[in-house]
Amino acid sequence: MKKDFQRRLLIAAVILLGAAIPVLAHVGSPDVFYEGDAGPYHLFVTVRMPQVIPGVAEIQVRCESGGVNSVQIVPLRLSGLGSNFPPTPDLAKVSKDDPQFFTGSLWLMESGALQVRVMVDGAKGKGELSVPVASFAQRTFPMDKPLAGLMVVMLLVLGIGVISIAGAGAREASLERGEVPGPSNARRAKIVMVVTIILVAGLLYLGKSWWALEDSDYQGRVNFYKPPTAETTLENGNRLVIRARGQNPKWSDRINMGEVVPDHNHLMHLFLIELPGMNRMWHLHPTLLKGGAFADDLPTMPAGHYQVFADVVDSRGFPWTLVGTVDLPEINGKPLSGDDSSWSGEALASAPGKDNTVSQLADGGRMIWERGPGPLKANTAMDFKFSVQDKDGKPVQDLEPYMGMAGHAEFVDSDLSVFAHVHPAGSVPMASLEMAQAGLMGDASSMQSGMAMAPAPGSMPAEVSFPYGFPKAGDYRIFVQVKRAGKVETGVFDAQVQ
Amino acid sequence: MAGTISLQPPIQARSVERAYAETASIPWYIWCCVVSVLSAVVGSAWDISWHETVGRDTFWTPAHMLIYLSGVLAGIACGYLILSTTFQKDSRLRDVSVSMWGFRGPLGAFICAWGAVAMIAAGPFDNWWHNSYGLDVKILSPPHVLLALGMIGIRFGTLVLVLAEMNRAEGAYYRKLERMLFLAVVFLMGLTVGIMQEMTNRVLMHGARFYLVMMIVAPIWIATVAWVSKNRWAATIMTAMWMAIHLAFVWILPLFPAVPKLGPVYQNVTHLVPPDFPMLLIVPAIVFDLLRRQTAMWSRWKQAAALGAAFLVSFVAVQWPFADFLLSPESRNRIFQTTNYPYFIPSTSPWVRNVFIHTDHTPGAFWLRMAIALVAAILMVRLGMSWGEWMRRIRR
Repeated sequence: MKKDFQRRLLIAAVILLGAAIPVLAHVGSPDVFYEGDAGPYHLFVTVRMPQVIPGVAEIQVRCESGGVNSVQIVPLRLSGLGSNFPPTPDLAKVSKDDPQFFTGSLWLMESGALQVRVMVDGAKGKGELSVPVASFAQRTFPMDKPLAGLMVVMLLVLGIGVISIAGAGAREASLERGEVPGPSNARRAKIVMVVTIILVAGLLYLGKSWWALEDSDYQGRVNFYKPPTAETTLENGNRLVIRARGQNPKWSDRINMGEVVPDHNHLMHLFLIELPGMNRMWHLHPTLLKGGAFADDLPTMPAGHYQVFADVVDSRGFPWTLVGTVDLPEINGKPLSGDDSSWSGEALASAPGKDNTVSQLADGGRMIWERGPGPLKANTAMDFKFSVQDKDGKPVQDLEPYMGMAGHAEFVDSDLSVFAHVHPAGSVPMASLEMAQAGLMGDASSMQSGMAMAPAPGSMPAEVSFPYGFPKAGDYRIFVQVKRAGKVETGVFDAQVQ
Repeated sequence: MAGTISLQPPIQARSVERAYAETASIPWYIWCCVVSVLSAVVGSAWDISWHETVGRDTFWTPAHMLIYLSGVLAGIACGYLILSTTFQKDSRLRDVSVSMWGFRGPLGAFICAWGAVAMIAAGPFDNWWHNSYGLDVKILSPPHVLLALGMIGIRFGTLVLVLAEMNRAEGAYYRKLERMLFLAVVFLMGLTVGIMQEMTNRVLMHGARFYLVMMIVAPIWIATVAWVSKNRWAATIMTAMWMAIHLAFVWILPLFPAVPKLGPVYQNVTHLVPPDFPMLLIVPAIVFDLLRRQTAMWSRWKQAAALGAAFLVSFVAVQWPFADFLLSPESRNRIFQTTNYPYFIPSTSPWVRNVFIHTDHTPGAFWLRMAIALVAAILMVRLGMSWGEWMRRIRR
């Protein structure tokens, strides 16, 4: 044991214990899906996040444009000190079955806003991109019974063993060859054993206390990264005020809600979903008040019980989703304006076989989910493609960017344990992605262009796709929002995931 | 011995034993245990350097293999020794063994076996810990402490094995075993000094806390080896061996190329990062050996006071200016290796900037700590003397 512990503890940073459900980076959807260009190569990157931090993330890179010979991957901080000092990258392994599919493992050493940099080399030269990832411990694994039993047996053997060794030593270690221990030796052995029992008991108590402290520290850190509670109050009949309260008392000391950064034009994206059934949804954009609270003058809404999901990105690029519920009276509010939007329709279908792939739009057109045959599987990265048709069944020609992008999709589990706000670039927040891109060191031709910011109106295809993967089995409702002729249209799809 | 039933071996048996002692070589099980400890020593130094250089690892790194080889080797050797002593009625060790749980064997074998079991138990515990609390990059976790206790057990067991054999030996055989004794104590001193390294960095060497820490961990081994051995230069030889092993790591590890695999990377690391240059404990050890001869007739406490004070004063006298040297440009060469930093140390760190960290905020605090260090040195020397005397009585 030759070296300095504290130096190593510096890199340890955070160790934590925890909760039953993976949380955050949205809610219950920790894996990251990203689609974008590394120079001339179009990549689909999946980052399977570890359950504990420090832990190992599994990286999958698929090149959809071909020509890639090698892929290197490396993790580093998204912003601040250390974000420009990456370690030696790892060479991802190429699949035997698919020469354009690469996999690798990366150690994520600390919680917080990190990025995975992907460097590609191939027939068209080099390219690189960076994928922001929200790194945090999600849970702990309780010791199963066989292992716990083994540990108890080992503890007994070691505890009784050290007491017996002390006794044997006191009784016989000083005896000459062939000498038999007498009564005084036995008496001394008993005294030594009693003292050893006290010492062992003391050590076990200290060890247990230490373990409890480590566990508590870990749990505190897990709680730190759990979704903050959205505390809501209604003022003046229609003004909804939202304040964030972390699950760890230290959260408010470290995360300044007054310094959140704009994420595709807005500081907060608020989703109000009526419960039960999710048959109404509002996508609103509250403004920041002094002191870190947010407020929005609500549009006209019926009285009801609403689920609150509110997305923000902090100054380090870490995404937070505030979660809560609110009971609202009937609101006689302002008309929808700006980027605000709403939808109402049928309640979530939870019966088998009730999945739908066609959604009627408010303007008479429809949205079609090109989902393909076969059941939907959890933990499988997919491209969710949706095409938009006008009332005559023809592909629309007038899609335009909605908050700078071709579309927005929200994936919500019926038990509300999963909420993901996804864009054509994937599940990464746009604000974090901008920070990741800012750190790329390559020349302009090799730089990332994958923000999927939509092209100019009139030139947009009638199809929009979202890279994502359901984190677990369940009944999901998917809200897909596009903008057509100045008006936001929302398609809604139900999906049973196995 | 009072209270015991003496069954002295006949004169013929004693003669045989004496003849054996003149011609015998070190028993295989002592070699096995020494190799086991050496494996853990090399493995630990390598592993720490690995974490400071590469950063991440797997269970299967060579350093980890050496550490676990230590437990396996000691466990198998001492397990076999206990079984053979128990069941072979003509075993040479049978009447110089202790009994426990119906088994017989040298006391040191039981201690080593305990250490091996602790190391093995730490394996699944550590694996579960990784799954629950994350891959560890910190040394001080409960499963790692269990592993360390196992390693300490094997080192202490090896020392007791050597002591039992040495205290029964004479002549050339005694001297062979004495060299093994020095090595066994070196391993223990290396462990305790190493554990404190977060408080013994060179930038802390102008603070009283550094000297207090060193007085807690070093003099006890110096005194122990001096009192258990008959060699008049025992403390000097043992400390020289400690420095030699430490220097071997300082000079050999940087010969192997390696690069960081974790970030952020603040230092340009191209080879395995070595440990810091060893402290000049050899000087107080020489002073200790010289003075203990001069004070041999004194009372134990008076002698401990003189030796403890001399140890502290001589250590401060050499280490304080040596720390100045280690922070100076003259030390930045292959001999002293003061330009090697772990990849995760920012350039703003006092360590990299070569400036001292003053741990004592006032002169009063400094002198109070130095006074406590003096008391610690005296107490630890006295403890080592008693421990050494006890060790001289170990026969089994």
